[in-house]
Amino acid sequence: MKQEKIYEDLFPVLRRAKFIFFIVAIFFIFLILNFWKVQILDHDGYWEKSEANWMREITLPYQRGLISDRQGIILANNRASFRVSLIRENCEDYDKSCRKIARLLNIEEHVLKERIKKYESQPHFKPIVVKENLTFEEVAMIEARKLELPELILQSEPKRFYPFESFAAHVIGYLQELSPEEMRRDVYGERRLGELIGKTGMEKQYETALVGGHGRLIEVVDSLGRGREEVARSEPERGQDLTITLDFDLQKEVEKLLEGREGAIIVMDARDGEILALASYPDFDPNRFINRFTSEEWLDIVNSPEFPLENRAIRGLYSPGSVFKLTIALGALDLGIATEETTFVCKGETRIYNHPFSCWREGGHGEIGFFDAIRDSCNIYFYNLGKEMRIEEIARYARMMGFGSRTGIDLPGEKSGLVPDPQWKIEARDEPWQLGETISVSIGQSFLLVTPIQIAAHTALIANRGIRVTPHLFKSLSLNGKKRENRFNPPGNQVVNIDTSVFEQVIQGMWEAVNKQGTGWAALVSEYDVCGKTGSTQLISRDKSEEPEEEKEEGEEEEEEMKTHSWFTGFAPRENPEIVVTVIVEYGGMGGETAAPLARRLFNSYRKKYDRQEPTQTH
Amino acid sequence: MIDRSLLRHIDWVLIGLLLLNSIIGVAFIYSSSHYLPGKYFLRQMIWIVFSLLALFLFLLIDYKALVSYSVYFYILAVAILVGVLLFARFVAGAKSWIRFPFFQIQPSELTKIVLILLLALIFSKFRLDYMSWKKGLLSGAVTAIPVFLVALQPDLGTALSLVPVCLGALILAGINRKTFVYILIVTLLTGVVAWNFGFKDYQKQRLRTLISPSKDPLGSGYHITQSKIAIGSGGFFGKGYRKGTQSQLRFLPARHTDFVFSVIGEEFGFLGVVLAMMCFFLFLYRLYQSIGFSGDRAGVYIVFLVAVMITFQFFINVMMVIGLFPITGTPLPLLSYGGSSLLTNYLGVSLVLNVKMRRFVFV
Repeated sequence: MKQEKIYEDLFPVLRRAKFIFFIVAIFFIFLILNFWKVQILDHDGYWEKSEANWMREITLPYQRGLISDRQGIILANNRASFRVSLIRENCEDYDKSCRKIARLLNIEEHVLKERIKKYESQPHFKPIVVKENLTFEEVAMIEARKLELPELILQSEPKRFYPFESFAAHVIGYLQELSPEEMRRDVYGERRLGELIGKTGMEKQYETALVGGHGRLIEVVDSLGRGREEVARSEPERGQDLTITLDFDLQKEVEKLLEGREGAIIVMDARDGEILALASYPDFDPNRFINRFTSEEWLDIVNSPEFPLENRAIRGLYSPGSVFKLTIALGALDLGIATEETTFVCKGETRIYNHPFSCWREGGHGEIGFFDAIRDSCNIYFYNLGKEMRIEEIARYARMMGFGSRTGIDLPGEKSGLVPDPQWKIEARDEPWQLGETISVSIGQSFLLVTPIQIAAHTALIANRGIRVTPHLFKSLSLNGKKRENRFNPPGNQVVNIDTSVFEQVIQGMWEAVNKQGTGWAALVSEYDVCGKTGSTQLISRDKSEEPEEEKEEGEEEEEEMKTHSWFTGFAPRENPEIVVTVIVEYGGMGGETAAPLARRLFNSYRKKYDRQEPTQTH
Repeated sequence: MIDRSLLRHIDWVLIGLLLLNSIIGVAFIYSSSHYLPGKYFLRQMIWIVFSLLALFLFLLIDYKALVSYSVYFYILAVAILVGVLLFARFVAGAKSWIRFPFFQIQPSELTKIVLILLLALIFSKFRLDYMSWKKGLLSGAVTAIPVFLVALQPDLGTALSLVPVCLGALILAGINRKTFVYILIVTLLTGVVAWNFGFKDYQKQRLRTLISPSKDPLGSGYHITQSKIAIGSGGFFGKGYRKGTQSQLRFLPARHTDFVFSVIGEEFGFLGVVLAMMCFFLFLYRLYQSIGFSGDRAGVYIVFLVAVMITFQFFINVMMVIGLFPITGTPLPLLSYGGSSLLTNYLGVSLVLNVKMRRFVFV
């Protein structure tokens, strides 16, 4: 160690101070370089972030188009509804906010969190709906705690509302939240997560017309998420209003008739395929679906043993039963296998291809002609016709009548049914066609599966003497009262290549079935010339159709009667037909007993309402 | 009592630079808080006037007298710090304030001045070319006591700003490199121990946030993220005075206090940052330059330590707003809103002026 100096020598001290200052100067340059990087090189990224900070885009909800019946009665309306949303960005402590909000809104905390989790992918500043359809008290409560809970915002939006609840639910359909999976599909490209979209029925079919455009509001917000001023605003566009062909009064009656049963009824204008009433029972209240309810509640409805969500009119697969005899009759006449004069003897039972086949009437019909065979629905007569036609021709005529393919009705999810033939059986079951099966098909049993709407369309085809119409519900679209589009464009009304006289003969049989004490007598409306055909059959379940046909035909009448589904399809008046009515009642018993009387009331109601050209053509 | 000739030796340039920086501060305090109740810019102006008065009054006392009494000041300061710990109420999670009827003050800030005087006393008679262990340990000890007490408040930022004052003294006294490295190692080890046993959770969180601010942008990373967004979005020319969205819409936290430099960056851009830095650099340059105008060893130490104190705070704050340093609550000297810090820095400058104007007197 050096000696302490006795004089002041500040030189080394000053030198060190100078050195420190030199380092300070260097450090200034280092800092400026850092600012250069952040402010010049990385400027764009930070600029975007700062813009995102202070601009907020709010979606202004649009009004979904109304749906009304042909008379203008509104079946699907909108009403104002308050909802409360959470903005995660504004939560000081996410868990704490969740706890508070759950208590305030009376929701389970885990339910709330699960809900929010669904929207995790969304940016933090986007509001997530946590509760809808707030009561007035809830709105007041949230409003009062506005400062305490800056993460909650109240919004009012027009909300779907079905004033008649379950009325025509299967036609109108319902709305549900767009799920993240659906979001990925192109159809919903413009839509947002959590938006309500049509899931079935008209709501789905005409989704693109019914939806409007969202409005957008861009506003300046401060760090607490409070709006300061509007920057830009585009008003929402309302959706187009849809008028459908349903007739409120007829639909109401149809639903009343079906109440307590399981089945479907279709009332259709024979001339152009406009559906006046279409109901499937059991049904549901579409208002329940709009509330963003929990998945358990949803599963409850989906898993109900009665399948209330299934629209039986377009998705129920039934054997046509005796209704199919009309197709056989048309084919046999057209092919020349039968004429008006063809007769067979019905002893109540017969053996064909070494198997016993029975008629529904135990004693038999005796010697029976063409019209009587349709009138009394004699099985033996049609076994013989079917046997002559062979399965290939039966299948050809069935397809000509529209079976085995969709009718093209503007309802989503329509099923096409099944017209069996040998080729199908080989492909689907790897078994050769049994000749006995042809006999079963002749009376509408076996593998043959049809939907009620196919039966209705085929009835219209007969009523129009070979002119096919496409069943539809679309009547017109309008925007703000102005008509936009008022034509339904079906695939084209084709004419079936069968002679008109053939139809006239079959129609004669149908007329007699109702008006001459036939199986359809219960559908008789005085002076209205109803023509129709009944049918009784089972809903074919998979294991049942596995069974050999003979067993089903044999001696199970009593037991089967209990489980028999009841068909009636018909049209009126005979000349210039206007209306087709098709009824299926599951477990309804014989068609003549259950379905036909329902049809009669509908013919009556239609006539009262629409048939004004009084003395009609009577026969 | 005061020689008229002394007045001629007052460094008016330094005072001018001091005021220039203070006024820049007021401008941005106004920009970032004019919409708030409380009129912070007005209060800051009152503090400037008050501090300026204190600066001139402080000049009346010869710095040599101050140095010789510094032991008593030191004992008083430590007593007040202990008293604050025992009796003060928590404000924003720390017991660092003494409340007076119209204002409140942080005694920890003024402790810096006392420490500078005490260190000047310790080294005033030290004429070796290199540090001695005795002096080194003594200066370390007198620094450690207030650092410890302030850290307990807890006010880590202010506590840490005392350390470089001590280190500055050691460097000036001629510490050899090996010892300096040892000190750094000891400091680091203390840091590790403190991390595990001494730090409060929020302090740990702040350090973690520095490493990855985007991990928790709404938590403790919020400050750094928003500050960087403010600065980065300013670009070259800035968004214009009182037009910064980050500060005007309150995304930027503590914008009139610790983050006032971010407001400059946002509203005047890179250009503003460079100009503001230049103003401050000139001020610091004048301070360091003053070292050569000291009459004695104590004077050299006083001027140098004041310069180091202000420099260090400036660097910490600027590094903090741009995300190079954890958020410790260190204000930007002269520019940030806050009376205690302003008064301390003015008193520090006052000491420098004191040394400078009395350089000829003693010979």
